[in-house]
Amino acid sequence: MTETRYYTVAEHLLGVKADDIFLPLMQNYEPFRHDISGKTDVERPPLLFTLTVTEGRITDYIEEYSQEDEGQDTICGHTAGNDPVFEFRWDGKTAGWLVCTPDYRQGTLHLSGHDTKAALDNSLMILFAMASSCTGTALFHAAAVSLDGRGYMFLGKSGTGKSTHASLWLKNIPGSGLMNDDNPAVRVKPDGTAVVYGTPWSGKTPCYRNVSAPLGGIVLLSQAPYNSITRLKGIGAYAAVVPSISGKRWDSRIADGLHDTENALATSIPVWHLDCLPDAEAARLCKETITV
Amino acid sequence: MKIKKGFVLRQVCGENVIVGEGLDAINFGRMLCLNETAAWLWKKAQDTGDFTVESLANALCEEFEVTPEQALTDVKDTIDSWTDIGVIE
Repeated sequence: MTETRYYTVAEHLLGVKADDIFLPLMQNYEPFRHDISGKTDVERPPLLFTLTVTEGRITDYIEEYSQEDEGQDTICGHTAGNDPVFEFRWDGKTAGWLVCTPDYRQGTLHLSGHDTKAALDNSLMILFAMASSCTGTALFHAAAVSLDGRGYMFLGKSGTGKSTHASLWLKNIPGSGLMNDDNPAVRVKPDGTAVVYGTPWSGKTPCYRNVSAPLGGIVLLSQAPYNSITRLKGIGAYAAVVPSISGKRWDSRIADGLHDTENALATSIPVWHLDCLPDAEAARLCKETITV
Repeated sequence: MKIKKGFVLRQVCGENVIVGEGLDAINFGRMLCLNETAAWLWKKAQDTGDFTVESLANALCEEFEVTPEQALTDVKDTIDSWTDIGVIE
């Protein structure tokens, strides 16, 4: 039976219209479930987008760009009518096609039957990243920890050791907790402060926590044979943040929205560069420097 | 000459920066910092579409108090650096 369920991620309301058979694949979304029954429009957050899940395939579309990451291909394109399309492939096999309205308020996922779970997660992440891009929101590729009521994010290229550094905090810094291990979201509020949120997407670590904290700092990690930390400012801070944010920057509306968020973060949030070993001393040095 | 598609002038923490955002520029992987004059030239070049060193130097002379010789030298230096980094064609 088809029904629509609602979730809140970073205080945005998301709708997913799907058959019950997909429910067992959506356990990671349960902490984010939002019951809107009996609530008026004013009592709930505004609806960011609705994803409709269906089976089948789409007819041809025009390819624009393809991205390869750890055996996974995402092909971006558009239909003849100019609706954005994303095709997800694992090991050459298509898992599904996501067709969106140009404003990303509506998306339809056509499932092929392969890697259904991954196609669902990717579709929701894409819709979330695109639809929220003009609202001061950014979906990061990062690990996020909390300490004393504040959130801190660790950025870096794949394989740099973001998760490793986060786990070193958990082991060596009493009171620290993991907020998300792969895709936290950040919102810049109208007053210029920023908040980091856990999301239903956390890479290989099952950490699906509906938590949030004021963002206290952003740390770009690099592997090095020593531990050393420096503050980045201005363009350096901006350049550290931009590559860690998901988005389709050749859509100028999205690029403009993300730029505003990135510029606000680079201006108001302390950004650091940590050259580090995967050891306890790296976590302690980082903590001592970035927490006040 | 013209500016390649996909390059955008952005204000980053109060400074003028060229970033690659379009499909043709997505792998640029760098940011190019411009001073006020270079940023003014960039906007002029963007508005003009097709430009030459001379046309930009003339425009510079009309807007600012510089000698034609100085304008020509400044524009040429700026264009050379843009050519080196690959943001114009």
